[in-house]
Amino acid sequence: MSDVLLDIRGLSTHLQSAGRLVKAVDDISFTLRKGETFCLVGESGSGKSVTALSVMRLLPETIASHPNGEIIFQGQNILALTETEMQAVRGSRIAMIFQEPMSSLNPVMTIGEQITEALLLHEPELTLEQAEQKALTALTQVQIPNPEQRLRTYPHQLSGGQRQRVMIAMALACEPDLLIADEPTTALDVTVQAEILKLLQSLQRDLGMSMLFITHDFGVVSAMAHSIGVMRYGKLVEVGTCSDVLRAPKHAYTQALLNSLPENLAKPTQVVTVPNDAKASTQPLIDIEHLNVWFPIQKGLFRRTVDYVRAVDDVSLAIYPGQILALVGESGCGKTTLGRALLQLEKPTSGNIRLKNQLLTGLSGRALRPLRKYMQIAFQDPQSSLNPRLLIATTLTEPMKVHGIGENQQQRLELAAELLTSVQLSPDHLWRYPHEFSGGQRQRIGLARALCLNPEFIVCDEITSALDVSVQAEILELLLTIRAQRHLTLLFITHNIGVVEYLSDWTVVMHKGKIVEQGPTATVCQSPKESYTAALLSAVPRLKAFM
Amino acid sequence: MTKPVLSRFSYPALVWRRTLAGVGVTLSLSWLALLIFAAVFAPFLANSMPLLMLNQGELSAPVLSYLSVEDVVLLGAALLAGLLAMMKQPMAQRFWLWLAGCVVIVLLANALVKPPALVIYDDFRSPPFSTAEWRLMPPIPYAPTDYLRDINSKGLEAPFASQGHWHLMGTEENGADVLSRMIHACRISLSIGLIASGIALVIGVIIGGLMGYFSGVIDMLGMRLLEIFEDIPTLFLLLTFVAFFGRSLYMMMVIIGVTGWTGYARFVRSEFLKLRKQDYVQAAIAAGLPLPSILFRHMLPNGIAPLLVAVSFGVAGAILAEATLSFLGLGVVDAPSWGQMLDQAVKSSTFNWWMAVFPGGAIFFTVFAYNLIGEAFRDAIDPKLANDSEA
Repeated sequence: MSDVLLDIRGLSTHLQSAGRLVKAVDDISFTLRKGETFCLVGESGSGKSVTALSVMRLLPETIASHPNGEIIFQGQNILALTETEMQAVRGSRIAMIFQEPMSSLNPVMTIGEQITEALLLHEPELTLEQAEQKALTALTQVQIPNPEQRLRTYPHQLSGGQRQRVMIAMALACEPDLLIADEPTTALDVTVQAEILKLLQSLQRDLGMSMLFITHDFGVVSAMAHSIGVMRYGKLVEVGTCSDVLRAPKHAYTQALLNSLPENLAKPTQVVTVPNDAKASTQPLIDIEHLNVWFPIQKGLFRRTVDYVRAVDDVSLAIYPGQILALVGESGCGKTTLGRALLQLEKPTSGNIRLKNQLLTGLSGRALRPLRKYMQIAFQDPQSSLNPRLLIATTLTEPMKVHGIGENQQQRLELAAELLTSVQLSPDHLWRYPHEFSGGQRQRIGLARALCLNPEFIVCDEITSALDVSVQAEILELLLTIRAQRHLTLLFITHNIGVVEYLSDWTVVMHKGKIVEQGPTATVCQSPKESYTAALLSAVPRLKAFM
Repeated sequence: MTKPVLSRFSYPALVWRRTLAGVGVTLSLSWLALLIFAAVFAPFLANSMPLLMLNQGELSAPVLSYLSVEDVVLLGAALLAGLLAMMKQPMAQRFWLWLAGCVVIVLLANALVKPPALVIYDDFRSPPFSTAEWRLMPPIPYAPTDYLRDINSKGLEAPFASQGHWHLMGTEENGADVLSRMIHACRISLSIGLIASGIALVIGVIIGGLMGYFSGVIDMLGMRLLEIFEDIPTLFLLLTFVAFFGRSLYMMMVIIGVTGWTGYARFVRSEFLKLRKQDYVQAAIAAGLPLPSILFRHMLPNGIAPLLVAVSFGVAGAILAEATLSFLGLGVVDAPSWGQMLDQAVKSSTFNWWMAVFPGGAIFFTVFAYNLIGEAFRDAIDPKLANDSEA
């Protein structure tokens, strides 16, 4: 027998729902050797996860069918096994870890109970002590500090990265031959992601298992994969070794995907950068002095404030006209809170914010209203950023009416139509509801709404994080065009270093509510002064090594 | 990747279609439609006087001259609703138009309609009514308070028991026709349910909305107010008011409404607390939109769906409260109501099934219908269930 562990031949998975048939996976074939990693890459909806679930036979049989194809795992066709036979394979020989470590663990059972339960299910001959011993070994393997104590903790007491380690420990406890990892690091911060990826690699080396790794992130792919399969609309458009596919992609779609990565996007030529020495003379558009945003932690009968969560802690920052300032940091570092505090959506605890020398902090809602039109915000989540009950026309014209832009509704509608054209949508889209649009289209509408008051300053809060790379590239290019046309100043909040390098001319790094480092993007990204920035940058998985 | 346009239906239309999908809901809505029809056209459906009469070559409609203020208001409101239903304006606009129209109709009816203070039903069975050349009687030729003394009715007749005149649901102890009373009683049950819940809804939305939006101190004070109102036993308050101020349907509506808003306020509060952090609400604040617009345009329509479900259960509760009160003999005296009819059944010397089954069944089916509609509506707005059926 050869060293092929998993051989997928002409697999199709059709999903049936409400009378519609979706060819989620359409005639794909690939092989996975022992001890190697096969990465399935593709944008959302391309069928990567359905492929993984088909291998695990986890799709509900009422809606999923496999009209043709075989999944040969260790010489056995998985699709031909009975459900009881499959249960013996699942968990013990093929294990799976998921994207969301929070919802994959049972919150009312301790970590130890959950691992031993899985173990005893597959190896009933073990005693409880043996199982606990094995669980302990597994936790030690995934390098959790104090594994003995961790056995008795509940999932909520662990951080996201530790939860994912526990998930891996659970998957590895039965020593599977194949580990399927479905976007295991997508929900994690880059530094945590880097640790988890390193852990998976070392475990693979030690245990000699194979991995089917699903991701949308080419940086992760280049770090993990031995071979790669690129999926689109349920079809495998390109299969090859990692270096072949990344260095010399043959298929046009793979090329397009690689080209739309922010680090590969052509930098626009007409970037207006503010020379650093000129800054002393120009007036900052926004001036933040010793800003604090603290959230009280209240306890006890009288909700006494015992302590504060210092989301933004003594931050001073100046934003100059025409600048694209990138605010970088990991989740929970206070970057979003800072962005919202700028617009007075979050009440600062203390400190001053000035817009064009006009003090914003402490102003009443009424006094603030005329100033609102100078600064706007665009959001991350395309699902919740638009009011589902309002026509796009209403969403765009209502703020104009309040601020006296346009003389009558007809004129405002014309302005709104122009706005939609400028974000590359059709004026007809005015008369639609948000649920009729795709994620990328909604982000464009979100931008149009931010632009409808002709602001000078826009906070872009992770506006491309929820989007596929190709859509992200379009939105970023659009943002740069609009910014050049309208002489906008942008505060771009993101955790994606690639986007920062592509877009911004000034970078601010935040950590635990404080600004750690700031400077021109090129300087900060190439030669960081602070150790935290350096750690953050080195954790980012990059394609560059391959280029 | 651009997704194709999902659907051209607006969200309300989508919810409406999903709500109507079940058989139970269709039956419930038909039952309510029947009740509304009976309530609006009660004087034309069950009355002792002819609808049309030709006497000595003169055509007259006696029923029209005996219409009461309530009859006119109900007819006018229904007519207006029918007219507005055919117009093309947005739903909300038509609703406000209808409400304004109703106020005008109430004022006009009170000023202009002056029915005779005393109606002697026996007269309609003697000349000139009985000698008319031609007359058109209502389908049920008995008024709810017509005790048929002139035709020697002994009262308590089982359905179809007597010769000569048909009583589909029998007669009660005074000799009045039960079906006629049932039809006229629809009005009280429908109106108390809708008006009491309407009052509760308005108070609940305003207080709950302010609590949820501002949170903090206002939320805390609001919660205490809410707890105070939750501790008031509605039934005993009603009993007290009846004892002090006499029996009045309108007073009952107000009391049930004023004590019943706490549940709605809780719903709105929790929805608003959640919605306040939604990006589109934040965007509305960032755009400097005025507070009423943020509250009622950007937040309320997105948080109202669970409330409407609660309302459909609340309507059922109000109907039951009125029935309870009438059953205890503390309801409205002059007009029949289902609860009062049940009370009559219990108090009569022998058990007469037709006096208990029909009003009891009507209460049961009405409450059941509202609950079914509420449940169907709740399922229709649940995005998880919706995805199951349409993904």
